[in-house]
Amino acid sequence: MSSAAAPAKASVPTLSVVAPLYNETENVRPLVEWILQALETYPEAFEIILVDDGSRDGTWNEVRSAASDPRVHGLRLGSNVGQTAAMMAGFDNARGTVIVSLDGDLQNDPRDIQALVAKLDEGYDLVCGWRQQRQDTLILRKVPSWLANRLIRRLTGVPIRDNGCSLKAYRRELLQRIPLYAEQHRFIPALSASVGARITEMPVRHHARRFGESKYGISRTVKVLADLITLKMITTFRSRPLLGFGLATLPAVGIALVFAALWLFSLTHFGPEKAGALVFPGAGLLALGVAFYLFMLGLVAEVALSSERGDASDIPNAWEVR
Amino acid sequence: MSAPQTLMEPTADTSGHRTPAGSGFISVVVPVVERADDLVAVYQAFGRELDTRPQEHEFLFVFDGSITPAPELVALARQNNGVRILRFAREFGETAALQLGIEKSRGDLVITLPAYFQVQPKGIHLLLDAVSAGADMVIANRSPRIDSWLNRMQSRAFQSIIGGVSEQRFHDMACGVRVMRRSVAEALPLYGDLHRFIPALALREGFRVDEVAVPQHPGDAGMRVYGPGVYVRRLLDIAAFFFLAKFTEKPLRFFGLVGSLFIATGAVLSLVLFIQRVDGQGIANRPALLLAVLLLALGVQLMGLGLVGEIIVHLRAPHRRAYRVRERA
Repeated sequence: MSSAAAPAKASVPTLSVVAPLYNETENVRPLVEWILQALETYPEAFEIILVDDGSRDGTWNEVRSAASDPRVHGLRLGSNVGQTAAMMAGFDNARGTVIVSLDGDLQNDPRDIQALVAKLDEGYDLVCGWRQQRQDTLILRKVPSWLANRLIRRLTGVPIRDNGCSLKAYRRELLQRIPLYAEQHRFIPALSASVGARITEMPVRHHARRFGESKYGISRTVKVLADLITLKMITTFRSRPLLGFGLATLPAVGIALVFAALWLFSLTHFGPEKAGALVFPGAGLLALGVAFYLFMLGLVAEVALSSERGDASDIPNAWEVR
Repeated sequence: MSAPQTLMEPTADTSGHRTPAGSGFISVVVPVVERADDLVAVYQAFGRELDTRPQEHEFLFVFDGSITPAPELVALARQNNGVRILRFAREFGETAALQLGIEKSRGDLVITLPAYFQVQPKGIHLLLDAVSAGADMVIANRSPRIDSWLNRMQSRAFQSIIGGVSEQRFHDMACGVRVMRRSVAEALPLYGDLHRFIPALALREGFRVDEVAVPQHPGDAGMRVYGPGVYVRRLLDIAAFFFLAKFTEKPLRFFGLVGSLFIATGAVLSLVLFIQRVDGQGIANRPALLLAVLLLALGVQLMGLGLVGEIIVHLRAPHRRAYRVRERA
């Protein structure tokens, strides 16, 4: 997140608005106009960063012409890398101390930006938009989203009702602590909570799509669930993997003990000549093997991570109390 | 303003890095690994074509340990500063030879050539022109092909297996004739035997890769049959690349899928055995019990492996960026 990249077009902005775009030709111009209009009353310098995520239509041309305004910057990525990486590209090139992300499809309302930033200034590191009166199809979008949000809330303990809303305001230091990869933009609240961020949400407006088409389908639901469980495990045990794997050995040891008991029981009650006496100790030994293996894997994880440890992103987020 | 950047420095300013077409310096890297024609003839044929272009050029021949440079080539390198010979002390393979050649070369453009005539030397202009037109890497597609049906069939099979992995379809990924910008050459994550996947690797790094049809050279037309070991190695290469391409960011998606299949099978089997036991049948002498426990154990192990992978990926994330900025405005 250095500021050397973009040429100094205006005075250094304190607010950066990041919008990833993928095949949104018709939406670029209205989006930029709308954001500029919404931020007209913003007291400090701001910038808009449009990230063209390898679009195959005329999006980049639109971005280029929008960038004739000194407050608008464009980034064109080499290939289509997905929303998370595109957002990262925008965040990495943002210069503001406060960063706001929103969808490039006009479904978020830029008029909410200032309110989000004001909320952030009340003492939060992350303010999530909570879409009111969602203008999406019920079965394909709203129901899966409702289920996913409930589940995320249960698993992560972060009381955010709308994880999927792209309209969010972040403090720069927070984004430096949660490097996003794969498809993690949905888990920003959970990831932020895991590094100790102060999180809140506030209602925002939501509009139906005017141009272009949605890039989402229902197939992602299963992936989101799997990613969520993975994320939960990683964030819980990333700093002490041996503990995680050590705990995981307990059921295996338990199973081994059960088989040992069964073996002793059959030995004392039926005598050693019963052929089956071999199967119980065999199964028990396998379970014991799993326990041993998991413990060793925990050690491997510790070794593999020792070199990755200790940099700034390892330190939890904190704030000065005045 | 449009040079792509390295992965590690997403915000480095590289404006003006890309040299305008017509200037610059071309390095030709020739890995000499297994098959080799008369290298002096290769040098002369391609050198003659490059002489007609405004750019200066150099040739780097990288010899793997098993091959000795011919005295004529050594003599040529002594007289001519534009020809350099590098040699490994033992066998390291084509990928290592390419890596060394790229590292030791100085060109703004890097051409890789096989150590034998694979395409018509005149075709090199088509590739260079395509780079001038904006591509980051251009690969040759041997077309029309004039070699035997066996070669073509092998090549077709290889391409169709790979085809599912790469987002962009390449017709001749195995062709060794490629032109790339220096930034691309240096960003390629080359190791092992990945040189066969160079176009797909460049694409994954976010570069624009184009394909240009170049007539095949008659010298490349001979029938080639390899030992079974070669085919097995090729398949393993593809498997390695497939895994790399699909799951490096999400290892648990792969290990978890396989692992949960094992666990599910083991669980169903256990359940059946349990019901039978409750039903009054003895299960203590049933090897099926061992199988069930074994499946469960294997599944847990795979999940564990995937989880370790996830933790490693997670902790490396601060140092890795999945995108590459092509242009700024």
